[in-house]
Amino acid sequence: MPQAFTFVHSSDLHLGKPFGRFPEDVRVRLRQARADTLATLAEVARAHGAGHILLAGDTFDQTTPAPKVIRQALNQMRAQKDVIWVVMPGNHDHANATELWAQIARDKPDNVIVADAPSPIALAQDVVVLPAPPFERHPGRDLTDWFDGADTGTAIRIGLAHGSVTDFDSSEEGGSSVIAPDRAARAGLAYLALGDWHGQLEVGARSAYSGAPESDGFKHSHAPVALVVTVESNAALPRITPVCTSKINWLRCDFDVTGHADALAALAALMPPLAQRAQVLMDLRLSGRIRAPQRVALEQAVAQIAPDFLWHRADFSALGLLPDTADLDVLDSHGALRAAAQTLADAAQDPAHSQEACAEAEAALSLLFSFAMET
Amino acid sequence: MKLLSLQLTNVRKFAGKTATISGIGDGITVVSQANEFGKSTFFDGIYALFFEKYGSSAKPVKSLQPYGGGAVEVAADIATQTGRFRVEKRFLSRKSARIIRLSDMAVVAQDDEAERWISQMLGAGKAQSGGGGEGPAGLLWVRQGVLGLEAETPKDRAAMTETRRDLLSSVAGEIDTMTGGRRMDRVMRRVAEELGVLHTKTGRPTGAFKAALDLATTLETDHAALESQVTDLEEALGARKAARATLQRLADPQATALRAQALEAARRDLEVAQAHAGKVAQAAQALKLAQLAATGADQSLQGFLLAQTTLDEAQKAQEAASGQARAADRQVRDHKARHAEAAAVLEAARTRLAQARQRLDVAHGQADARAAQGEARQLGDQITKAQAQISLRDTALARVNACGATAAWLSQVEAQAREVTQLAGQVAAQTTTLRLSYAGQDGGGDGRGDGAGDSGRVLLDGQVLAADRDVTVSGTQVLTLEGIGALEVHAPAPSGDAPERLRQVQADLEALLAQVGVQTIVEARARATARQEDAAAVELARAVLVTLAPEGLEALQAAKAAVDLRATAARAPRASQTDSPQDTDSPQETDIPDESIDALRATVTRLEGEEASARRDASGAQADHSQARETAISAEATLQVAQDSLARAQGQAGPPEDVADRRAALLQAQAEAAEELRVAQAADADLRASAPDLATAEAEFARCEQVVAEAARQSRDLGEQHAALTAMIQTLAGGGIEERRDEVAGQLEAARADVARFAAQAGALTRLRDALEAERQAARETYFGPVQEELKPLLAILHREASLQFDSDSLLPAGLRRGATEEGLEDLSGGTREQIAILTRLAFARLFARQGLHMPIVLDDALVFSDDARIVKMFTALTRVAQNQQILVFSCRQMAFENLGGTRPQVTVEQA
Repeated sequence: MPQAFTFVHSSDLHLGKPFGRFPEDVRVRLRQARADTLATLAEVARAHGAGHILLAGDTFDQTTPAPKVIRQALNQMRAQKDVIWVVMPGNHDHANATELWAQIARDKPDNVIVADAPSPIALAQDVVVLPAPPFERHPGRDLTDWFDGADTGTAIRIGLAHGSVTDFDSSEEGGSSVIAPDRAARAGLAYLALGDWHGQLEVGARSAYSGAPESDGFKHSHAPVALVVTVESNAALPRITPVCTSKINWLRCDFDVTGHADALAALAALMPPLAQRAQVLMDLRLSGRIRAPQRVALEQAVAQIAPDFLWHRADFSALGLLPDTADLDVLDSHGALRAAAQTLADAAQDPAHSQEACAEAEAALSLLFSFAMET
Repeated sequence: MKLLSLQLTNVRKFAGKTATISGIGDGITVVSQANEFGKSTFFDGIYALFFEKYGSSAKPVKSLQPYGGGAVEVAADIATQTGRFRVEKRFLSRKSARIIRLSDMAVVAQDDEAERWISQMLGAGKAQSGGGGEGPAGLLWVRQGVLGLEAETPKDRAAMTETRRDLLSSVAGEIDTMTGGRRMDRVMRRVAEELGVLHTKTGRPTGAFKAALDLATTLETDHAALESQVTDLEEALGARKAARATLQRLADPQATALRAQALEAARRDLEVAQAHAGKVAQAAQALKLAQLAATGADQSLQGFLLAQTTLDEAQKAQEAASGQARAADRQVRDHKARHAEAAAVLEAARTRLAQARQRLDVAHGQADARAAQGEARQLGDQITKAQAQISLRDTALARVNACGATAAWLSQVEAQAREVTQLAGQVAAQTTTLRLSYAGQDGGGDGRGDGAGDSGRVLLDGQVLAADRDVTVSGTQVLTLEGIGALEVHAPAPSGDAPERLRQVQADLEALLAQVGVQTIVEARARATARQEDAAAVELARAVLVTLAPEGLEALQAAKAAVDLRATAARAPRASQTDSPQDTDSPQETDIPDESIDALRATVTRLEGEEASARRDASGAQADHSQARETAISAEATLQVAQDSLARAQGQAGPPEDVADRRAALLQAQAEAAEELRVAQAADADLRASAPDLATAEAEFARCEQVVAEAARQSRDLGEQHAALTAMIQTLAGGGIEERRDEVAGQLEAARADVARFAAQAGALTRLRDALEAERQAARETYFGPVQEELKPLLAILHREASLQFDSDSLLPAGLRRGATEEGLEDLSGGTREQIAILTRLAFARLFARQGLHMPIVLDDALVFSDDARIVKMFTALTRVAQNQQILVFSCRQMAFENLGGTRPQVTVEQA
């Protein structure tokens, strides 16, 4: 009877991801955070008594990452010598990335196992991992097929795969990889550790995506985690424990101002605590319709809090103006300024105008309010 | 506010004194004083009172201080809606400001509070900007020499503009809001600022916008380059993977062993095939030798048989040739004899013909000689005649050339003679002549014909006077009558120049005559006639010569020499024309008459026919002889050949006694060779039948060799390719090319987002600017209505149908329209400009008055350029406004301003 086996399941570290769309200082922080995930994962393993960390693909962001990225990753794994790393290629760093895997094979420490072939690997005396490494960016077939017929005796079988399940067409890249959702059951796996999906997600009782330990986008709302998994037998259900791993929070806030009597207060409520903001990438998307003075106030408020964040973006393009004569009166009751405001307000609402023209007029009106209300 | 009185103490020229103007009226008040009275000092003083802070040490204040220094004090009594007050300020020393209510002399405000009181009183509080210390009243003051409405400094201009805006706004009620006022200005300035950050004045992106565009462009280029490199990297990886797989396949030991085994088997098969092929070659060589032996035996037998046959044929041929040679020899002898006969006949015919031809030639020669002799004689006659003509011509020509009496010369002589005759007639008519006849003496005693004898002679001037001859007498001459006495004759002398001219012409005539050696005109004419006849003789001789010797005498003589030669030649014997040696020795032919030549010619013709016939016969005989000789030579040669062939055939056939033995031996050798050939053929066929295909073995071996070699070459090439690809991959991968590509892609995305954001922002700003400008422009069109309304009646006083154009920014007059003509303010005369400046202030003052803010208009010598007529009209305008407007006029033009009317205040200066 095999003993319970605990390991850490993670994936999609995407080491070496450049984050080019961010300013240089943010890029540095983001890349450093990703590099730090290896140590974080090792800490999680130690904290939960796990001796192995299974990385289910996309450890590296490219098939040919810079040598220093590989070397520093291996050095970090070497430093965590009480942990055994099982590194399987993903679609970004697929097994045919010969340069990458050749360097890893040449430079890797003893505590790193490269799972770059579809053959069983013994992790312990009665524990076998069945890897399904992709050999190209879009394999287009179920690479876990061979799990079903793999003879591992009485050992605990742990599947390791990278891609999307057939009824879960949600690969990070709209992927074409197809993994049977019932693979774990069909192949008699105690647990199927999946990679590719950057948010943590369980697919049945025996299959789960760990998600990336550090986010790289605003797509997923949950905080990044690693999964601490304990398997006792192929028959028993695994115990899956998510453990938060991220240092930087990617936060997307969709703020619909409609119905908020005090939009500023509502916005403030949406924002994270001040102390956390320096580690937050904020993507604020405003929508709905609002009166012009309130919009100006909102813009000013957003502009005021923007420096709090590691990075901040506010999209007002979906925030329409609510036409109100009283607001125009704030500018002036009559005269040229008022007439110009009225012209723009009318143009913004004119169905004869194109959507772009209406948006431009609305933006111009908003600017008018903004400039007129400057002290 | 209305001014009641003004007071200056210790101000400029009023140092230590107090100058007062009191009794200022409600309407027009004229302070008309001479220059240097201090009018401008009053103006500046009250200006400082109302517009300079009491604590100020600014230039306008310092300029008030007299040379002696000390505090400057200015005060004014004024009336407002709330009462009468005294406003007083002390500048520069113990500075203070006070407002004293005159009704009770209570101080209602002091220092700063006094300043605020003044400011509110002046209406400055209505100017929202608060800029500048001047309220609306500042508009209404016209300083001496300052004609324009615009202030001098930017700060003052801004303040004045704000004041005017306030004024217009307060009067029109809606002006400020119509144009958006300062808020509009601020918004438009902000729009311009924001647009200026994004766009140049020409609408091109600038600043961050341009930087984003440039960055996006650069990043697009970089990304494309990196993408290309990534593609290269991927392709290199794929190529290296394929190369590596192929290398592994090639290096597979099993496959290598299989290629080696196949090559070894092919080599063995090839060696077997090559060995068998050697045997086949040997058998073939043996077969070939057998074939040669059999052929040799056959040939020997056939040669023997052939030699026997040839011998028989040679013997027959030798006999036939011998017969033919003998017959030919006989033919030669016969033809030789016939040819000799024909030759003799021909020789005889030729001799006869030669003789006949020689005689004919002699006859021809004699005829030619006779003809030539006749021709020579004729030519000799012609030569003689020609020589005579030449002599005649030359003689006559010599005379002509020697005589100068040409026709021209004669004409000249004739003319000269006529003139002599004419002049002589004139002279004769003017002279006196004497003719003396000696009585009793016929013809003179001395026979000299002069009638004078040795005695009784008459002498004229000592010379004997000839008898019976006219003697010309001129002047006083003495006739000596020997034996009688003297007779003095007084004759008049010819008048004019006729005698002199006669002498000259006579001398000329004599000179002309002397040229040809004659003395009289008759001789001259004879000499000219003779010359003319000689010339005719020359021409005649020339004509005759042309007929006798057209080509000259020498040609004629040459022709005669040629004819003489021909005659000589014709008479000479024709030795060169005959080949017959006996002809040279033949006697000289006797003359043959011309009529015998035809007979001789016929004889020659006949003999020529006979000679031709004999020649043909001889030629035929010679040909027959030659043919016979050739036939004989041919027959001899044929006989020689036949004899040679017979000798060779006899040699080949051998001795006749061994023929049978040799034939039997040859037949046996032929049979043995045929058997050996059969055996060799069988052996060759057997080997060939069992031989492996050498070509196949060779091809298989070559193929296997090629496979091995190709595998080696491919391994080598792939190894090199693999190394090159690895180097390239390491270069690209080592630089993290994918990472850089992704990084640049992200930067490009961000840059494009920035560009889009800037573009949207610029679009919105442009849209806003356009909307604001459009609305402001519309509002401006009604902006100056109130001012124009006030100006219209005032302007009409000076210029009928005139209107002022205002600048929308400065709110000041910019041009004057009179009828269809519009002129810029700067183009107007100084007089018109100062009139407009004052009228505009009057209009502004009326606007102030409408809102209940009555401000005095102060003019300091403001009408200095206007002519008298315009000044009067300006007085009218001032008076019209002064009905409810206080106007204080300082002027040094006392007489001119007498017509202005108004109040004349009291001006006093006292010691302080």
